[in-house]
Amino acid sequence: MNMHAQPQRTLAETALIDAFGERLSLLPGDGAVMVKRDDAIEAIKHGLPTRRVESWHYTDLRRLLTSVPAFEAEVVAKALDPVLDGSAVLPVLNGVSNAKLPEIEGVTVQRLSEKLTDGSVAPGLDPYGADDAIGALNTAFVADGYFVDIADGTELEKPIELQNLQSGGQAHVRLLTRVGAGAKAIIVERQAGEASEGSDALISSVSQLVLDEGAEVTWLIVQEQPDTATHLAQFKAQVGKDAKLTLFVMNAGGKLVRQEVVVRTTGEGADFKLRGINLLAGDTHTDTTMVLDHTVPHTTSTEVMRNVVTGKARGVFQGRINVHQYAQKTNAKMACNTLLLSDDGEFSTKPELEIFADDVVCGHGATVTEIDHDHLFYLMARGIDEKTARGLLVKAFVAEVIEELDDEGIVEALEARLDGWFLTHG
Amino acid sequence: MPAVQETIDRVRKIDVDQYKYGFQTEIEMDKAPKGLSEDIIRLISEKKGEPDWMLEWRLGAFRRWLTLEEPTWARVRYPKIDFQDIHYYAAPKSTPGPTSLSEVDPELLKVYEKLGIPLKEQEILAGVQKTEESELEEANDNVYKSGRVAVDAVFDSVSVVTTFKKELAQAGVIFCSISEAIREHPELVQKYLGSVVPTTDNFYATLNSAVFTDGSFVFVPKGVRCPMELSTYFRINEKNTGQFERTLIIAEEGAYVSYLEGCTAPQRDENQLHAAVVELIALDDAEIKYSTVQNWYPGDAEGKGGVYNFVTKRGDCRGDRSKISWTQVETGSAITWKYPSCILRGDDSSGEFYSIAVSNGYQQVDSGTKMIHLGQNTSSRIISKGIAAGFSQNTYRGQVSAHRKAANARNFTNCDSLLIGDQCGAHTVPYMEAKNSTAQFEHEATTSKISEDQKFYVMQRGIPEEEAIALIVNGFVKDVIQQLPMEFAVEAQKLIGISLEGSVG
Repeated sequence: MNMHAQPQRTLAETALIDAFGERLSLLPGDGAVMVKRDDAIEAIKHGLPTRRVESWHYTDLRRLLTSVPAFEAEVVAKALDPVLDGSAVLPVLNGVSNAKLPEIEGVTVQRLSEKLTDGSVAPGLDPYGADDAIGALNTAFVADGYFVDIADGTELEKPIELQNLQSGGQAHVRLLTRVGAGAKAIIVERQAGEASEGSDALISSVSQLVLDEGAEVTWLIVQEQPDTATHLAQFKAQVGKDAKLTLFVMNAGGKLVRQEVVVRTTGEGADFKLRGINLLAGDTHTDTTMVLDHTVPHTTSTEVMRNVVTGKARGVFQGRINVHQYAQKTNAKMACNTLLLSDDGEFSTKPELEIFADDVVCGHGATVTEIDHDHLFYLMARGIDEKTARGLLVKAFVAEVIEELDDEGIVEALEARLDGWFLTHG
Repeated sequence: MPAVQETIDRVRKIDVDQYKYGFQTEIEMDKAPKGLSEDIIRLISEKKGEPDWMLEWRLGAFRRWLTLEEPTWARVRYPKIDFQDIHYYAAPKSTPGPTSLSEVDPELLKVYEKLGIPLKEQEILAGVQKTEESELEEANDNVYKSGRVAVDAVFDSVSVVTTFKKELAQAGVIFCSISEAIREHPELVQKYLGSVVPTTDNFYATLNSAVFTDGSFVFVPKGVRCPMELSTYFRINEKNTGQFERTLIIAEEGAYVSYLEGCTAPQRDENQLHAAVVELIALDDAEIKYSTVQNWYPGDAEGKGGVYNFVTKRGDCRGDRSKISWTQVETGSAITWKYPSCILRGDDSSGEFYSIAVSNGYQQVDSGTKMIHLGQNTSSRIISKGIAAGFSQNTYRGQVSAHRKAANARNFTNCDSLLIGDQCGAHTVPYMEAKNSTAQFEHEATTSKISEDQKFYVMQRGIPEEEAIALIVNGFVKDVIQQLPMEFAVEAQKLIGISLEGSVG
């Protein structure tokens, strides 16, 4: 990690390093996997990233991660009903994927612990950069998760829901998915848990997705952790030739949350869409960081983030679009809009463009503002009281992004979750 | 964008190989030995005839500097600078404070003439030599239409001459070199120096505080509108010297001043260091407009030589309803590291930043601004246009932040980039930090080729394609060019080399 030598380890750093020593014998993996784990813990020994590390500028993990809970949770989490009706559910409960594997035509599902033991996933365990603290943490400790392979040409009728549920303690989970050429799928990544008394949770979750030629995937991340959870997540994807990936991220919980999105377009005609909403309340810190690499010509991407900040919440959005030298005809647009609803809330945004090709159309826009008084007036002039009017406007602001997903079932299910959040936090 | 031939040609005209200010002048110089130590600082201070408090201030900064590390966060790459291999003081021998132009070394005046800064003619215009007035006035009519410009000429480490001093003094405006100000107006300097950029601010600002040798000082008293444009022309001439100038501009309640700055340096294989600090202070209802045309030697076509331009510029809108406006045209320097910023402390104060940064060859530009909203109802506006060609890297890095008490803070940021060729890079790194719910921030950035729609719109009106494209490219930098005072606008246009007909005036 590109981290400065730290004079002294923090409690959290020490706890992680000690835990690694204790857990090592319990962690699955062949020689190759173990080498990766050792490298990863070495990176952590150099210290967790501080705000001096550019990609962690607004989330000083070293300062914010004050304590690390013990590994074992006292309560065992239970699988939840899926977000989308009829989904095949693959649960990881307290870091373990011990449920019965469902049979889906054209889909191969394996437990990740098996893939770690036989070493076949070792090459994918490397962190993506020197400042990839989440990748390093996960590689060091990952014990389970799923490997899902959707065969070429398979069009899934029903969605798959990957659930990572945690009730206190630590869990380090990896969800690997390959979507074959021409295949179509809707996949939900559910990140949730129950607050168990006296035990905070530390979760690292890395999802890796590969889209082969012409594959189409809608991936929904629904994060509703309790406010005792530190949730460090990463979504990494490669979008192949003519493949389409729509990623939706909803952050509506957690105490300290960092969701990284690392996407690379690897084939001409690839298209990536990111739609995200951050619903921030209480005294929480939520960071969404995206790094998007356009590496080949003729690829497109659009990213829209909508954030609502209430209470003492702090929100961060960092989005970087890298257009490589040969990625001519790239078309990339990014927008990040924030409604800051309380004086104690904060939102920081850093939308970056790094462009090395000359025939491209790239743009980004970012706004931070309060509710438009004209809009409020319009509604109140029609006899709607202020509180309701505000609620309507805020909901419309975020719901707009959901509606863009263009699938009735998904839109209804996500709006229901949105309503749920507004009921408790509105 | 795949640039139009015309645009490419014009940008090429300012190519590093064609740097026209690259000449060197043989002038007898008085130099301090190479290296940096407390002794050198004492020497500089002594040469300048400074009071003790100034020396202490410098030494304090130097001790602090020893504890600092060079910043590495900017997107610029360069070999490590050996700070002991630089002359920290170099002055033309004939300059123990000339009181009039006649005492200035004629060689020096020639330098400025070559640079297009006719110090003498301006003095003449002012009425020093009445006989030639009418003739010259005619000749210069076109250039000086918008009024005269008082110039402070800084040559390596010292200010060689300041024109129009008397006329300015009549209006109550103090315009002189900072060394003179330290001697003549210590109370003002002591009150304001380092109050915007403290000696502890950053690596280069701290270095500057320790070793600065000259620069300009402007004081516009309460209620005075400075009768003419003020200007400083910086020139690095001597080999292996660093230029560390310090500029301090104070506008008291209700005052107004417009200040211009220009810079050039000879062509050399070695890199030269330029680390300046500029501090602006605007009290209640005051306005300061600061314009820069930076054309330090950018290095040759292989990226050899050139000036390292590490500059700290900051304005403090200390008073209510005050305004500070930065305009910059950056075409020179091998490396530019510069973020003219505004601290919007006073209620209803406003800050502006207009920038054109053109990079070519192996130039690296990392520039932008900071707008720190502290007071209520403050507003800021950022317009940045980057044009990258050759093998250059052009980065916009900016920060806009609203603090808890900055109710109704308002910012609009627009940064656009244009790429010419596929070996260069354009980058945008804006930071937005809002801690107040009534803040309204907008940011937009684009990197794009000219759209077919735009082109169609213009061509549909009977304008041929080449001209249509030229018009659209003109529009690209127009917002910034318009902010420049007349004289600079002309120079900037030439420098950028992209025709901008009709956009200035």
